[in-house]
Amino acid sequence: MEIDELKEKKLQKQLRKEAIRRNWKLFSQSKLGMIGLGIVLFFLVLALLQPFLFMTGLWNESIYHPVVGYDQIIENKLVVECPKEYPTPQYETFLDCPGDGEVQKKMLYLAKGVEVGDMYDVYLQPAPPSAKHILGTDSLGRDVFSQIMEGSQVAFVLGLLSATLGVGISTILGTIAAFFGGRIDAYLMRQSDLVLMLPTLPLLFIISAFAELKIWHLAVVLGVLGGLGGSVITIKSQALQVKVKPFVDSARITGGSQRKIMFSHVLPNVAPLALLFMVFSVTGAIASESVLSFLGLLNIDMSWGLMIYLSQTDGFIFSGLEYWWLILPAGLSVTFLAGGFYLVGRGLDDVFNPRLRKR
Amino acid sequence: MVEYIIRRTLQMIVVFFIFLVSSYLLFNAIPGNAFSNLLLNPNLPPDAYAKVLETYGLDKPLSERVQLYVVNFFKGDFGYSYKYFPKTPIELIAERLPRTLMLFSVVNIVAFYTGFFIGKVLAWRRGSKSETWITITSVFSYTVFYPWFALMMLWFFGYKLGWFPIGKFLYPEKWYDAPFDSDVIFSMMIKFVVVVSLLQFAAYTVTRGIEALSTRRNVRFASLIAIFIGSYFYWNTGEALARKPYAADIAYHMILPVLVVTIVAFAGTALLTRTTMMEVLKEDYILTARAKGISQKRIRDRHAARTALLPVVTSFIFTIVTIIDGSVLTEQIFSWPGMGQLLLQAVLEEDIPVAMAAFSFVGVFALIAHLIADISYSYLDPRIRVKSQG
Repeated sequence: MEIDELKEKKLQKQLRKEAIRRNWKLFSQSKLGMIGLGIVLFFLVLALLQPFLFMTGLWNESIYHPVVGYDQIIENKLVVECPKEYPTPQYETFLDCPGDGEVQKKMLYLAKGVEVGDMYDVYLQPAPPSAKHILGTDSLGRDVFSQIMEGSQVAFVLGLLSATLGVGISTILGTIAAFFGGRIDAYLMRQSDLVLMLPTLPLLFIISAFAELKIWHLAVVLGVLGGLGGSVITIKSQALQVKVKPFVDSARITGGSQRKIMFSHVLPNVAPLALLFMVFSVTGAIASESVLSFLGLLNIDMSWGLMIYLSQTDGFIFSGLEYWWLILPAGLSVTFLAGGFYLVGRGLDDVFNPRLRKR
Repeated sequence: MVEYIIRRTLQMIVVFFIFLVSSYLLFNAIPGNAFSNLLLNPNLPPDAYAKVLETYGLDKPLSERVQLYVVNFFKGDFGYSYKYFPKTPIELIAERLPRTLMLFSVVNIVAFYTGFFIGKVLAWRRGSKSETWITITSVFSYTVFYPWFALMMLWFFGYKLGWFPIGKFLYPEKWYDAPFDSDVIFSMMIKFVVVVSLLQFAAYTVTRGIEALSTRRNVRFASLIAIFIGSYFYWNTGEALARKPYAADIAYHMILPVLVVTIVAFAGTALLTRTTMMEVLKEDYILTARAKGISQKRIRDRHAARTALLPVVTSFIFTIVTIIDGSVLTEQIFSWPGMGQLLLQAVLEEDIPVAMAAFSFVGVFALIAHLIADISYSYLDPRIRVKSQG
């Protein structure tokens, strides 16, 4: 008896392994899925690298900390006075003054006794990329690369947490709605109508007005809103298709209880779609977080959206590409990580939906 | 079917009632109220704040206010705006809505056609190098961090190149001596866009019956040119001629927002079309069509794309629902004074009557669209049974 059970377990393990290998093979055939996976892994490495660098002492926390770190970068500059009228032999337009390695005297009104023609030590903030700071520093002298790493931690925690929560809720509710039908179904469908009716962004504004939102709170809010909304409808329609399959009928005939049928026959067949939904909703959660912190409504220390918010309020966004390290990395990170998850979802779609496969 | 619609409508009324009460409570849960800043003014007499609250009925207990609001709402009385006092929320919405509709109807029409076309081609060219690159570009524009992207485009086209104006929807100096206000122009432009797109759609539907591919293309092209000539004459005769410069001013301010939103919006349609089209291409009847020796383009456009259109249209209906919600960010960035900004301002300033009216406007719109989507879905696709939808 025991040997049989052991054998069965072993067989099950083997089967599962084989299924994973087969699915991986299918997934790796999708070029876009692999690109997406590469992007996600890249940001995962970035997210994990920062605590590692701090722990091993390669990075000094007082310099590289994303929020309270500070690095003085001093540049010796020539003090000049800008002419009132242009062009002059030195400067063609007012945009050329002060030029490279020069600082205007007006800016040094706090330093007494500085004359035109002196050399003066100026704090360079924001500092351009250098060997010490790969992506430069922001207007408060903080390392941008470290902020990007911190931002990717935030994005992963928030995205995965809210997606797991949301998909968990919507899978269970969708399966229940499909399985029991009738009044429960009607109630759940109207409930998701209600959630879909609320305009998302203003709703999040209201919530952020009466509660100081931290990452965890936002993840729960986004997860619950996403979980009760439209995905219940989609998962219900998938569960309805599973419910009428012959194996569910035979389970019922052999006397399986309702709960047993629901959890061990219907739910596992809905799971692939749920996983797919999860990957796609990570994209949405990352975007929502970035929009909220871009508008300055979240109570968090650092995130990609907040970096763009800061560079906008400091007026660097319209300075064009002169301060590119304040504008491009954060925006591209949001875009790429969201896109990476989306591409992974596409690859999984190819695996789970046989009609999408090439052969 | 009739019974189903009646039951759904009854349920919808219940849902709307819950929606109304819960969003009213939600707005009141925000700390402070629209007049809290009066307390900061030292020059006001001490009882001014209390008097203002009494005038607006904010001193009553919450339960009574909810009751009053809901009863008045169903009587058709939405109260007065707290911030723009003599105006009612309906007046404000009537003023703002045309601007939003104008911007987003153009965006949605352009994005839908481009998206559907690109998705169709993508699915057809599966496995080629161009497919990979176009897909990556679409995914990029689908997931791009929208406010950042919009600001970059604003910087590039508005500031660096100086082609388009930055923000606002018109040049105020041009409108000083205008004999009419901008809403007249807006509603006129909306009518124009709707008529043109309906004509285009009609031409498309009529020519669908033409069998020969080249004739069909020529007829469609001719109808497009006819529409162009027609609209040229329309704008150069009678009343429209006087309004032309003003309409042109608004149109000029619209180019950049339309461009940016379209780049972001087309990708969703394109990616969805690609997926559904790929599923359709696996169907047996496509194989049959191939075996019959029908030309590739014909299979793509008439056999596959037509079936793939159904889910895309359904999702398009849902996109229309999110117009006002989605306009919040766009209008904020491009300083476009439409519904989105009204909603945002009302929420941030706790102008509860306006916010409630805007919310319920969005809500009613969403409910009806869902009902239509459900009905049309079960009507178009007999595999989905109404019975199972409670």
